[in-house]
Amino acid sequence: MATSSHSNPDQASGDADTTLPSATPRQEAASSLPNKPPTPDAIVTTVTPGMPPAAADAHDVDSAARANALSNMQCVVDLADSVVCIADDLHERILQEIAGYNDRTMPDAQKALMRALTDDERLLRQYAHALYADAATFVIQDLKEPQHRLMALTAEAAEKIRRIGVIGEVTGLVGGILLLVGSIARGQFSQVGAALEKIQLHNATLKTLKPGSPAKT
Amino acid sequence: MTRRVLVLVGVLVAGCASTGQVSLGEVREFADASARLGGYAELSRRYRDTYERELPYLSPQAERVARDTDARRRAVFDDFIAIQKTLVLYMQTLSSLAGDGRYDMSGRIDDLGSGLKAMTDSGLQQRHVAAYTGMTRLLTRVITSRYQNRSVDTMVRDGNADVQTLIDAMIVLTRIYEKANENERKTVLGLFSAEIPMANRNTDRMLVTLAKVHLQNKTAEYKLIDRRYKLAQQGLTKVALGHQKMRENMDKLSSEETRHMLAGYVHDLNLIRDALSGE
Repeated sequence: MATSSHSNPDQASGDADTTLPSATPRQEAASSLPNKPPTPDAIVTTVTPGMPPAAADAHDVDSAARANALSNMQCVVDLADSVVCIADDLHERILQEIAGYNDRTMPDAQKALMRALTDDERLLRQYAHALYADAATFVIQDLKEPQHRLMALTAEAAEKIRRIGVIGEVTGLVGGILLLVGSIARGQFSQVGAALEKIQLHNATLKTLKPGSPAKT
Repeated sequence: MTRRVLVLVGVLVAGCASTGQVSLGEVREFADASARLGGYAELSRRYRDTYERELPYLSPQAERVARDTDARRRAVFDDFIAIQKTLVLYMQTLSSLAGDGRYDMSGRIDDLGSGLKAMTDSGLQQRHVAAYTGMTRLLTRVITSRYQNRSVDTMVRDGNADVQTLIDAMIVLTRIYEKANENERKTVLGLFSAEIPMANRNTDRMLVTLAKVHLQNKTAEYKLIDRRYKLAQQGLTKVALGHQKMRENMDKLSSEETRHMLAGYVHDLNLIRDALSGE
């Protein structure tokens, strides 16, 4: 998920997943520094886009989520990174759609849809900001499994956004993601289950669509 | 009698000379360079002010979320700065200990404040808070004792673990600042990359031109700031590494190898500081 390899036109100066410059003796420093916050579940590396939705059982996730979802600072950062990736994918998809018009004027209704989606993208980015602020301000209690499932689901949703054929279908999916991410960012875990169901529903619909290039409406 | 006095003086001089061989010049220079290293405080302020910069680009719905996040960032800002102030005071005190002159830093003890105010809320982990408390205790002891039994060795030995933990917290926070800045960049620039191609009517020409100029300026601004996160992280890593090496080589500070190594860290820190202040 965080290793998403697609290129984003406005990502000129690097990926969100930044690393220290090679000039820094990071390895050496790490040996002298106390351990960083542990990342026992290695969420980012184990989640691959397109994997089956592991969170099929919304009840499991909901009850687990109630137990308080995010295990430590690094996990919150990973989750925020994944939300940024979804926003990046949405942005990329919007640009593709706009580019499809070349020099033709886009109908007003379509422009309104694009603007609504860019609003959604920026809202997603604000939720990512909220999670980064959480990472800097909270150490949240253990609960790795539900978070793992949430990450898997968001990874799949992001993949759908990239590959979806009809841009209009994105809106419902993004609505579900916004509800999910917003619930997590605000700590409203009771809503997580409903949001997951909504995303599942859209994913099921989207599976019937053949992925391809954006439709020229 | 005269000969005895001369012998005694000779012994004393020899004693002084053997103490004097332990050169603390490099320790002092390293502590000075560490205390002067910039970047973290400025980037903390930039992180705190994210909302103000993003505001013009936000939809009303996004703005509501942003406002809430802004309040949370501001609530912990003082704590994030307190860590850096403590580290700076530690390095200044170490520099004083390693120096030749007499110093009175008791006035600076007030800078330590009353601990991390938002301890329970602060995102610092328990070990970061413990390190902060340990560090302020050590500094208070060293400073208020007016350097009785002054000993660089003791300070570096007692302080190293906490120094490492505090720098670790600063590096972790700087990484989070960097990620937030990246997200901000995409929020700001992303709006233009979607809106400019959609504005292709003749009547939009002036607006599109102005938007492109604004986009150019903002792109340049983010490119410059990106570099500062890297530099700040490099600098902090150097300070951590230098202090660790100093701790490990405390018994052979006067050796050519150790002095050369510390001088190397000083050189690197000065380069990083110049790069940070030259932009």
